[in-house]
This record gives sequence, C-alpha cells and structure tokens, in this order.
Amino acid sequence: MEEKHGMAKVIAIIPGLAFMVFTLYLLRTYVEPWMTTAVVFGQKGWFVQVLHLNYILLAIIAGMLYRNLLWAGKIPGWAEEGFRTTRLFIKSGVMMLGSLYTIQSLAKVGGVAIALIMSFVFGTILFVMYYGRVQKMDRSLIGVMAAACGVCGVSAAIATTPAVRAKPADVALAIATVLGFGIASMFISPFIGHMLHLSDYQFGAWVGTGILNSGQVLATCLAYNPTIAPGTAVAYGEIWNVVRVISIPFVVFFITMWYWRAEAEAEHITLVGIIKDKFPVFIIGFFAMTALSSLGMLGAEGSSTIQLMRTVMSWIFGLGLVGQGAYIDIRELKAAGGAPLKVGLAAGLIKYALALVVVLLFVSKETNF
Amino acid sequence: MKILLALDPSTETMDEAIRLATEKRASLTALFVLDATWNDFTGHDWLSGSGSRADFLEYARDNELTSEADTIAEFRKRCSPDCEIKSSTGRVTDEILRELAREKYELLVMSHPFRRGLEIVRDAAGAILKHANCSVYFVRGNESRSSLNTVNDMPFQTVAN
Repeated sequence: MEEKHGMAKVIAIIPGLAFMVFTLYLLRTYVEPWMTTAVVFGQKGWFVQVLHLNYILLAIIAGMLYRNLLWAGKIPGWAEEGFRTTRLFIKSGVMMLGSLYTIQSLAKVGGVAIALIMSFVFGTILFVMYYGRVQKMDRSLIGVMAAACGVCGVSAAIATTPAVRAKPADVALAIATVLGFGIASMFISPFIGHMLHLSDYQFGAWVGTGILNSGQVLATCLAYNPTIAPGTAVAYGEIWNVVRVISIPFVVFFITMWYWRAEAEAEHITLVGIIKDKFPVFIIGFFAMTALSSLGMLGAEGSSTIQLMRTVMSWIFGLGLVGQGAYIDIRELKAAGGAPLKVGLAAGLIKYALALVVVLLFVSKETNF
Repeated sequence: MKILLALDPSTETMDEAIRLATEKRASLTALFVLDATWNDFTGHDWLSGSGSRADFLEYARDNELTSEADTIAEFRKRCSPDCEIKSSTGRVTDEILRELAREKYELLVMSHPFRRGLEIVRDAAGAILKHANCSVYFVRGNESRSSLNTVNDMPFQTVAN
C-alpha cells in the first residue's frame, strides 16, 4: 500500500477514526446503559452482573466483530489509516495514566511490582528456554517465544526477532499463540477476580504479572473496574505493566547474549546499544506526568482538570480498544500450532496460575497507595 | 491456454504447474507476491519504541526480498526459458486475484497450505476460492499443518467456476 504523508495522511485517518468514535459513542450512550437495565433470565442487569460486560470489553468485542464478521478478516482500505491510530491513543492514554500516581505512591508499591515482575519475567524466560529445547524448537524461535511469554507478547517478540535472526513467518505463529492466550485470559480473568473477591490491588498485581500482553492487561483491569482513579485496578495493573515494559531492553539483551553466546557476534552486543535502540520512549512521558502530579501541577484530587483528564482517558482507551479488537483476526489465531503452541500455552498457563497463587498468598487486599 | 502459478517455497507445486503447462501446451506465468501486510499484522504492538518497530519491519522486508530471490531462482532452474515470471507487492491473495482479473488465465495452480509471507497464518485457499474467476488447482504441500483451517483434506482439488 502506498504510504501517505502530510495532509493526505490526516485526511486518510478521518473515516476510520470517525468510525471508531461513532462505535464508542453508541456503546457508551446506548448499549452500556441498556445493559444495566435489561432483564435476562429473570435478572435485571444480567449482562453487567453475570457477564461483567462494560464499555471496555464491548469496545474490544465490537472491534473483533468488525474485523472478523463485517470485514471478513481484513480492515478495509478506507478505515486502515484511522485504525492505525490505535497505538497512538493507547500510548497517549498510558502516558496520562502517570497522573494517577505520585513519586511517593510509586515508591510504595513499586518495590513489590519490581520484585514480582522480574521474578516472573526471567522465570518464564528460563522455562521457555528449557521447554523449547525439550520440544526441539529452533533456537531463534525459542528466543522469540521466551521474549513473548516473558515480557509482553507482541512488543517483545518484535524487538527480539531481528536480534536472534528468527523467520518472520515463525514469529507470526508465536504471536498468534501469545495473543490467543491473552484474549482468553482477558475475558476469563474478571470472572475469576470477582469469584475470589480480589481487591483492585490484588487484581492489578495478578493480571499485571500473569497476562502476556500489555494491551490486554490494560483492558482486563478496566474490564474489572472501569473507573480510572488512584487505587483502582487499572492504576495498580499499570504500575506492573510499566515495570514490565521497562524490562524489554534488558530482556532483549539477555536473550540476544544467550543466542549468540560463544560466537563473534556477541562481542558487538552492548546493553547500552540495545537500550538506546529498544527503549520505549513513551514511558518517559508516563513518568513526566507522575512528576507533574507529585508537584501538584495537575490540581488536587477531584479538581476539574483531573476530572477532565480522566474523562479524556476513558475515551482514549475506549477508542484504542475498539482499534485493538479490530486487529484481532480469529483465523490468524487459529493458525497457532505445533511446538510454539505447546510451549506458549505451558508458559502462559503456569505464569497465570502461579501469579494468582503468589498474589493470594503474599499480596495484601489493601495498600496505602 | 494460460496458467498462473502462485509461487511459494513448494517445489512440488512448481513441478506440478510445469507438468500441467507442458501437457496442455499452455503458457505458464509464475507470480511471486511480496507480503506488504507486516505493518498491519503488528498492529497489536503499541508498546515498542519506533526503533524496535522499524527494525522489525525492515528485517521482515529483507526476509521477503531474500525469499523472492530464492524462490524465483528455484523456479528458473526448473522451468523452460519461455515461462514468464512476475513479482508484485501487497496482500498476497489480493495480488493473486488482481493478476487473475488482469490477464485471462484459465487455471491457477498453488500450494495448500500456501506458505508465502503471512499467508502461513491465513486461509489463502479460502480467500482465493471465494473470488477466483478461473479454475483453481491445489497441490498439497509437504509440511501440511493440521491446525490450518482450510478447505479440504484431499491431495488435490480442482474447482471449476
């Protein structure tokens, strides 16, 4: 497809973006309120009480329905550029989430987050390296799967692929596995959380550690509790998420060194070079917002500025998740198979279950956030 | 008669297309499509820095170009000099259908599963069968993947439109 630039690109974005905005508007204005009152199986608000549906999950479902039913597996040309803004929306939203914290509050839960995330990230990587060898997987693919299962799905897989010379087609299969698992856990986790009466802190810590894809962590936390404020699931889950994202360059370095060990190529690999190349710069924006919040420059809790920011965030995430849903092609996920599926599923399930056990045993219901 | 061969790494499919063309005294055109949908496929990724994304997309493009050179070289070794070879860039099945619409082919020969670019995770056979304006001849590849959810379990399938 021809790459558009300047004004032509802006114009090309409008139809798809307008479609996403219209979808979210319908969901928030009509569908969600209707679901809270609709009587199904004799129960008022069954969709919300039993299925725990809210506009976040509806946004993802709508995107998936567009892609898989309405558009038969392919985002149409007129909407393509608009849907590509998904990344921009979610990244902007995550940066704005930085405003939910102060440096002091980050310091309080940051230690727990770093300890949990680092143990699980490197534990998963070592497990995949071991089990991948047992399954006789190609070393390149083991490297990609280790990054994908250890850190955050697609982003880590993409960051690692060129470094370990993996075949892009194999990477597509690895991504299909990781995303398939993540989508299932995105819909199941709120049920489990409600069933076990997890607090927002515990839920955020669990899914932030146990779910493989960062976009899905965000969506799952918002599905559990759509409120965006300090002390909610998304506020806690995002701390875990940010720690994980920061670890990407370190993980890429570790896996690259493992892949090239004892070869001349290893001498040219430096941590500084990888950090420079792979560090997700938007994280700086997240911490800049936290700094502004700590200095009181965004106003006190409850101020109109804060309220406005949170309303904007809820729309930004909603839009981003309609787009993210539209990138989920069920047929592509069904192509997952063979050793990557076995390794990915084993790593994903163990991580998901073990994270829940650790959270239940060691993470208190409440924290002085 | 004109036959179009959709190229992927399968040498069995190349041989079968050449055999058919010889048998039917048909002209054979081979089409290699460079997959340009990697950017769209990585749409799930919104965390990587732009450096990571750009590196990956560049790496995927280089891989596509290497695959093009290797596949075409393999086909050249097998076919007669009068075979035509074409290349295009885009979504693989769209480009094949576009070529079918542009020239009046009577038969399309391709592998099943079709292992070109991201078609490895897609249903190329289904997409082609739905829209092809000529008969389609599938050659079962060596590395069949039972998890691929496509149209048939038979070794060959010919569909007349």
